[in-house]
Amino acid sequence: MAIQYWRRRDRYYRLVGSRCKDCGDEFFPPVYKCKGCGSEHVADKEMPRTGRIVTYTQLHEPLPGFEAQAPLYLAVVKLDNGARVLTQIVDSPDDSVRTGAKVEATVRRMRVDGESGQIIYGYKFVVRS
Amino acid sequence: MHLMQSKNRAAILGYGAYVPYYRLPTTEIARVWKGGGSGPNVEKAVAAADEDTVTMAIEAARQAMKMAGTESVGAVFVGTESKPYAVKPTSTIVAQALGQHHTLAADLEFACKAGTEAMQVITGLVGSGMIEAGIAIGMDTAQGRPGDDLEYTAASGGAAYVIGRKDRSAVALIDCSTSYVSDTGDFWRRAHERYPRHLSRFTGEPAYFHHIESSVKTLFEETGHKPSDFKYAVFHQPNPRFPVEVATRLGFTMEQIKTGLLNPMIGNTYAGSSPIGLAAVLDEARPGDKILMASFGSGAGSDAFCIEVLEGITRTRGVNPTVKSMLERSTKIDYSTYSKFRDKLQK
Amino acid sequence: MKSRAYVSSVGLVPVGDHWEKSIVDLAVEAARGALKGSGKRKPDQIIVGNMFSAVGAKQEQLGALVASALGLAGTPAYKVEAACSSGGTAFNVAYNLVRSGAIDSALVIGVEKMRDLEPEEISGALAMAESAEYTQFVGASFAALNGLLARYYMEQLNVTRDELSAIPVIDHANAVTAAHAQFRKAITPEVVGRSAMIADPLRLFDCAPVGDGAAAALIVNDSAASGSKRRMAEVLGGRVATNEFSIFEREDMLDFKSSREAFKGAMSQAGLVQKRLSLIEIHDAFSVVGALSLEAMGFSKRGQGSKDAKAGKYARGGELPINTFGGLKARGHPVGGTGMYQIAEAYLQLTDQAGKNQVEGAEYAATQNIGGVDTTSAVHVFGRAA
Repeated sequence: MAIQYWRRRDRYYRLVGSRCKDCGDEFFPPVYKCKGCGSEHVADKEMPRTGRIVTYTQLHEPLPGFEAQAPLYLAVVKLDNGARVLTQIVDSPDDSVRTGAKVEATVRRMRVDGESGQIIYGYKFVVRS
Repeated sequence: MHLMQSKNRAAILGYGAYVPYYRLPTTEIARVWKGGGSGPNVEKAVAAADEDTVTMAIEAARQAMKMAGTESVGAVFVGTESKPYAVKPTSTIVAQALGQHHTLAADLEFACKAGTEAMQVITGLVGSGMIEAGIAIGMDTAQGRPGDDLEYTAASGGAAYVIGRKDRSAVALIDCSTSYVSDTGDFWRRAHERYPRHLSRFTGEPAYFHHIESSVKTLFEETGHKPSDFKYAVFHQPNPRFPVEVATRLGFTMEQIKTGLLNPMIGNTYAGSSPIGLAAVLDEARPGDKILMASFGSGAGSDAFCIEVLEGITRTRGVNPTVKSMLERSTKIDYSTYSKFRDKLQK
Repeated sequence: MKSRAYVSSVGLVPVGDHWEKSIVDLAVEAARGALKGSGKRKPDQIIVGNMFSAVGAKQEQLGALVASALGLAGTPAYKVEAACSSGGTAFNVAYNLVRSGAIDSALVIGVEKMRDLEPEEISGALAMAESAEYTQFVGASFAALNGLLARYYMEQLNVTRDELSAIPVIDHANAVTAAHAQFRKAITPEVVGRSAMIADPLRLFDCAPVGDGAAAALIVNDSAASGSKRRMAEVLGGRVATNEFSIFEREDMLDFKSSREAFKGAMSQAGLVQKRLSLIEIHDAFSVVGALSLEAMGFSKRGQGSKDAKAGKYARGGELPINTFGGLKARGHPVGGTGMYQIAEAYLQLTDQAGKNQVEGAEYAATQNIGGVDTTSAVHVFGRAA
């Protein structure tokens, strides 16, 4: 498990996505090919860490490995550059988790591989009113 | 001479604090374990289930880097007694999250004073010219055994400091510091143990008071400074009482220590305790203000610093959330939620 | 050398908790149903549609395994996987092979063994249809993605809780008389609206249940069909299409492009206009997915899918009956098997074997099978064989 996530640590810790060198469109997750203009000249770029909630849900039946975090909020967040991220929303009062709410990225534990395995870290977002 | 002063002047270029969102009122702990009452502090800051020293250090460090406007650092040192891994550095994860690779990275452990020690080491590296700037972090998710008196205060939080060569935008000069240590076993945690132990009242006189008084008095003797030279003073705060008592003994007033005295509202953040107190002071300090900071680490030792606020402080306002705002943005939890977050129910 | 293609027979295992049956038992049972009466003639090809046998039954190489179990070792056989659209996609492969003239006949089996897993393991297995790196990684289950979609749908297009409940209500009403359905009990919108919260705003009765199942069909060309006395349905068109992989990456989450394109392609292949369809089996793994499917395929205007369902348009006896044996919500959704259930059901309707669920005078039927959240869609169109 750890290796699959290790490979993506800059994406998970720093929101490294893609920027199209031809049209300037930015994407997260990163793309192989620009979805705007079709160019293959894309390069890594750190995404802005703030955006707004497009839609959200509170999940009551978590996936294996996420039991301790239930119930958990998930949201589609549109970052300030237009890129869209699927993320957990944490540390935010229930009534603040709303469509249109401003959010900011943070780094949290995503899951832990048992008592002796590695701890996987990644992005989650917090509502900033 | 025991005074430590760098030849090239080193200064705080940016800082960032982190206090988790959740607060456990100590009445909750008392309700569960003592049948009522409260602890010495009102509340303590509790990290969420998905937080640890790594995540909190990243948050604080990111703020500090932002304020400093620094793109790269030559050292990432994390002072903590709650490393998520017994073997695997906290600091490399933090460095990766900051995009730093050509850097020293190490975890420092000295109970509650590992954070200030990291500041001294980086001051030395900057002062010698080995690195341009480094980041020192004091951060903990301190744990007390359920029902133990330590549980009232053991809390989560801390702060990060980017220390670099003094320039016109620098926030505060790290003028000098002293350190005083001895073999004193007031508080410890053996390998493979989940919670630390402490020797009842031994933690006061021979440990906390003796070491802080020694480091501060040395600083005074060798610099000629006196308490009235300082606008602010920050002492390690294991509880609300000790820092007030040590301040009084050393000749400081409540007025000087109240700004950095956070224990009543967040508890003891261990290696984060003095650094976050300093951050609260810097949030309000003005150019020219002198700050005394004295940490304490069990085992035992104390680092005392003389810090002078510079003009650059004025540009930092509004760059990062203040410690005060982090105290305000919080929510109370009960003992059961706390247990869920901190795995207290685990055997 | 293009050929016409026909479904000449089907086999169905009732959907449910088959504690005593393994994935192979289920596949063999459905296959035998489809092969019954085909005499000594063996299919030229076996294709198994399945999503997660590796996880659900610790079994891969299902094609050869099932072929061997059927005594058909030697026959070309393999598995086709496209998450919940595995069944429909497997059928599409067979259809294209038959239609192209490469083979005369194929046995297609859709099968899933879900109940050997614990509920959270099933969630984990279903989540594998979505990105390991950006969806599973953040803890988003398949239900969570659909919850995000449902809220967006309701907020953007002013759809009410009551309207969203309409498709599950239709499903349950239709399943009452369906022998192979998992839940044969009618429900009210209130039951849906008050059921346990799964992924806000989606509740238990918005979501298809977990069940084991297998369905199979024999698909043949003219030469294989000639001389057969069986009642057949002709496959008039079939298309698989895909959308951008994850819903959150899509410019418009509410546009089910893969369903739209697959439906358009299949219908144009069939040379049919929409209004000729007598019924459609839609992939309503979640109430919101059913509504958006109906909108994407053009039966309802944007934002009107659930509203039209509530108004009776899609009920049995309505303008266009959907999910005539209960759909995913009530017939059940053994994920990799579902597409083949839909095809078997269309066959039953077009050969007048639907019993109490018969849509009178059904001439043309379509099936829409989705993998992911409209990520892969397989649509097929059938007509009565002349």
